[in-house]
Amino acid sequence: MSSNKVLAELLWAEKYRPRSLDEIVNQEEIVSRLKKFVQEKNMPHLLFAGPPGTGKTTAAHCLAHDLYGENYRQYMLELNASDERGIDVIRSKVKEFARTKIPGNIPFKIVLLDEADNMTSDAQQALRRLMEMYTATTRFILIANYPSKIIEPIQSRCAVFRFTPLKKEDVIARLKWIADQEKVEYDIEALEAIYELSEGDMRRAINILQAAAAIGKVTVDAVYKVVGLAHPREVRQMINLALSGNFTEARNKLRQLMINYGLSGVDVIKQIHREVFSQEIKIPDEYRIIIADLAGEIQFRLVEGADDEIQLNAFLARLAFIGKKLKV
Amino acid sequence: MTKRLPWIIKYRPKKVADVINQDQAKKTFLQWLESWLRGKPSKKAALLYGPAGCGKTSLVEAAARENGLEVVEMNASDFRRKQDIERIAKIAATQRSLFARGKIILLDEVDGISGMADRGAVDAILHLIETTRYPVVMTANNPWDQKLRPLREVSLMIPFKRLSERDVVIALKKICSSEKIECDEKALREIAKRSEGDLRSAINDLQAIAEGYGRVTLELVRMLSTYRNRQYAPFEALKNLFNAKYIFQAKNAVSQADIDYETMMIWINEHIPTYYDDPEEIWRAYEALSRADVYLGRIKKTGAWSLLSYVFEMMGPGVAFARKIYRYRWKAFRSPQRLQLLAQTKRSREIREGIARALAPALLTSRHRVKTDVIPFIKIIFERNPKYAARLAIGYGLTEEMIKWLAGPSAREVLQYYRRYKK
Repeated sequence: MSSNKVLAELLWAEKYRPRSLDEIVNQEEIVSRLKKFVQEKNMPHLLFAGPPGTGKTTAAHCLAHDLYGENYRQYMLELNASDERGIDVIRSKVKEFARTKIPGNIPFKIVLLDEADNMTSDAQQALRRLMEMYTATTRFILIANYPSKIIEPIQSRCAVFRFTPLKKEDVIARLKWIADQEKVEYDIEALEAIYELSEGDMRRAINILQAAAAIGKVTVDAVYKVVGLAHPREVRQMINLALSGNFTEARNKLRQLMINYGLSGVDVIKQIHREVFSQEIKIPDEYRIIIADLAGEIQFRLVEGADDEIQLNAFLARLAFIGKKLKV
Repeated sequence: MTKRLPWIIKYRPKKVADVINQDQAKKTFLQWLESWLRGKPSKKAALLYGPAGCGKTSLVEAAARENGLEVVEMNASDFRRKQDIERIAKIAATQRSLFARGKIILLDEVDGISGMADRGAVDAILHLIETTRYPVVMTANNPWDQKLRPLREVSLMIPFKRLSERDVVIALKKICSSEKIECDEKALREIAKRSEGDLRSAINDLQAIAEGYGRVTLELVRMLSTYRNRQYAPFEALKNLFNAKYIFQAKNAVSQADIDYETMMIWINEHIPTYYDDPEEIWRAYEALSRADVYLGRIKKTGAWSLLSYVFEMMGPGVAFARKIYRYRWKAFRSPQRLQLLAQTKRSREIREGIARALAPALLTSRHRVKTDVIPFIKIIFERNPKYAARLAIGYGLTEEMIKWLAGPSAREVLQYYRRYKK
């Protein structure tokens, strides 16, 4: 058993995550405000907003840790709007949670609702009522990428914290530190490449570093290789098949992406959007604009509609039609 | 891919004599037509009515051919568009020139009008009948709707009777012998019985079995009939949809199908490229289906059920009228590959879900983000560094099945380390 513990390894995104507010190196202003809540042993409802991988969820856990101590997770209900099936499930879980005991020295428990901006405005209305109903015994921390997608009545009930994208030097310093802890060999250019590829998302940056390190020395080539492997190549193949007029084959690729890789419709359209401007897709530039516009329209319909595959098939069918015109 | 001609077209009656067992209707119709050709019709229009597939349109076409007349056909969906009615009315009212062929004006399935609740259409047809210089023939399954009364009053009503089982069997036998397929008499009788006198549907069934299995036996017919009740229903609905001549038929094909509209949508999604080859048709059909799905999404999110009609209109007529030209389309039965793929990959997706469930709480993120953002990197580690992978597997308590799934070709090595470390 003890040898197990020594041998057991974790993903670095978890292993090197700050556990307490003191360990968070950036977002200084936010951290100092959060520390005040710990001192006062009280806090309002909170809304953490900002791009992915900037430390919102980590900050919420650190805050809870500093309030309740090591076993903080028993006083925190963690929900993720993109995994829970609707507001009814959320309601019953909150109801159940509110019934359990309150910790001795802090007069409330915390409901952490991640990806709250994925909720419809109707669900958010119901959430607002929940927040009011249990306000005596619970505080909500809502996490969102886009605060504008949170309805006004909720925003006005929360203290809003805006997380800014991480600075390049912060990300690279963190990657360096992890690499040193893990005794991993690296080129500094490789870490810069990781920063560029991760678009400021710390978790993604660390995942790339760990996967590259698993192959060997972390070089620029290794980084690109890893990112290339992680990206399903089917997206590009699918676009090219559609443009060559082969709608049915393109649709088969789409199904592989959605079923085998578990990508959502929005994931797929975003990757399509990225590919459309790459030189690997050989079409006249004016068509890139037309296709990007179409991708935007389809992304909008994906959010509005019910069946992701139908929307993406509509995109591919249009692409096949454009491809036919390009040939003649 | 060879395009086989649907038998209902291939074996359509060429001569009036080929129209089965409607002697009374034939006699009345031919007399009326003759009175037109002599210039003194008792009534300017005839309304042919009777059950589906009993030979109404076939008789009109065969009689036209025998008399060297051209059939000018207008469908029920056009009845709403004033300029179309006027266009036909103009053709009908124009004096026949010396050398031009004579015409029959055919208004098919006028009972479709009542479904559209369009009063103006009936008036327009009445006007057409008043001014026409050519025989006007209307067909209907059910002419007794209140709205059609003015049409009944100006028309010679010609009833068609339901075909008997025997009639249908005789027709099927003829097809079997000219197609040189082995047909069991009992099987044909079973098809006839189930067709309820609808020769068109009987011929379609015969072709479905013959082309699917190369022979027609009672057993196959029975199998198809139980199949039809459950799994055959979507195929039937698709056939009705893609072959709808009129808007109301296309809408009925989806709104009155034996399957619910969401299943129907999955089937249409699958079979748009089966029924259409032209990229423009495929695109237009998907565009319509995409709009239908958006309305359905709005209904689901807001409970606005009043939008359901738009769903049906987009997925029905929207898809059916994406075609550039009308032709009868007949495709073999095939269930959606997407459903098959989902069934085949069920276990694999469950494993992935299990991994996401194990990792999401530790990584403080959603299962969805684990699947899309984290698992691809873990897979790289598992495939490329078996030793390290085994340690991660222990760290997160992954099962051997999960390890196999993540490691793919390196599964054996990862499992060796994993078992060694676990001791």
